[in-house]
Amino acid sequence: MKHVRIFLLMVALTFAVGAFAQGGAPAKSASPAPQAQTAPEQASIASVVDSQISQYEKNVVGVAEAMPDDKYNFTPNTLNIPGAAYSNVRTFAELIKHTATANYRFWTTLTGEKMPANIKGPNGPDELKTKAEIVKFLKDSFEVGHRAAKTITAQNALEELPFFRGTQPRLYIATATVIHAADEYGQMVEYLRMNGIVPPASRGRM
Amino acid sequence: MVNHDKEERFLMKYVKLFCLLLIAALSTGMQAQTGGSQPAQPQAASPAQPQAAKPAPSIASSVDREVTILEREFVSVAEAMPEDKFNFTPEGMNIQGSDYKKVRTFAEQVKHVATANYGLWAAVTGEKPPYDVSDDEKGPDSVKTRAEIIKFLKDSFAAGHRAAQSLTPENSSETVTTFFGPTPKIFATTFAVAHAFDHYGQMVEYLRMNGIVPPPSRPQPKK
Repeated sequence: MKHVRIFLLMVALTFAVGAFAQGGAPAKSASPAPQAQTAPEQASIASVVDSQISQYEKNVVGVAEAMPDDKYNFTPNTLNIPGAAYSNVRTFAELIKHTATANYRFWTTLTGEKMPANIKGPNGPDELKTKAEIVKFLKDSFEVGHRAAKTITAQNALEELPFFRGTQPRLYIATATVIHAADEYGQMVEYLRMNGIVPPASRGRM
Repeated sequence: MVNHDKEERFLMKYVKLFCLLLIAALSTGMQAQTGGSQPAQPQAASPAQPQAAKPAPSIASSVDREVTILEREFVSVAEAMPEDKFNFTPEGMNIQGSDYKKVRTFAEQVKHVATANYGLWAAVTGEKPPYDVSDDEKGPDSVKTRAEIIKFLKDSFAAGHRAAQSLTPENSSETVTTFFGPTPKIFATTFAVAHAFDHYGQMVEYLRMNGIVPPPSRPQPKK
């Protein structure tokens, strides 16, 4: 968690700077009376969401770049581990494309941008085959995330937006997307290690 | 693609769980958000929808929903691993060409997450954890068996709900001291969820290596 510690320290600083930049007093001095959200606090929430996106952007892009091109279609199923249950699981490329697709799907809800026309299913565009193409797709999806985080304001953080068959608060959609990416990242980490590659975020530890 | 239905379901799993929990979570969250400072009068404020009124979301309810989803997924995966495999590590499989030196065992993954949960969530609430969580990498030495570890995990989620439900627009930007240093409450609360899902993704692979399909990925009856 060393990298997380450093990251959090930076977040705390960014957060504090962001709040003060908005002219907000420290939260402890805020009135306890129930009031509408103030601009500084909501701006701070947006910066927190953006920080979390940055953290998992670094993690996921890190593992995506660490996997060699010729291993991009790796799946643990090919290892034939005795007794394992790996039939029909995603390849490494599919994990990346799936994560990027979810990023696009969820975060464009906040930005109002159109989904790329070539995204047809949960694993993204079929025509993206090479590592370079897939990593670009991934990076572009995180750019949408940064734009999405910046849309969160005092007035709209709890505004409900269409999300699958229902609606969810803007804040929830933004952070649930990070959580989804974290889940997939954990799987990518294992795929790397199966190929003898220590994930970048874990190098130099233990 | 053969597994598209499965993948779509995977994408939907958070949403399905959310929908099931929506009303209860939002109700609880709103009470936590407004309680103590203003009598709750949601019905009077919404005369047009006396019975089916959907409570407005709050920061507390939105974050608590994430904790609830995580708890359900994570505990199910922890409980899916049998006791005799709880100390499994991929290093013991000797997969040719792999690099699993000194990675966490399954039990250590769960303990690490529960410890980090406490480290972040208890800091938000200001409570003293009932476990020694001073070592955020290993967790308490006193917690050893599968039953003890799962109880530790579940207890940490209870702290998570308290943390989420304590969030208000007024206090979310307050900085608290966690393992990592000064951290805004809203960040500490939500980052714990992302951190746990990161390890959840690893534990899913540990299960599959042992021939166990993770419960959230098992075929679900269609409605």
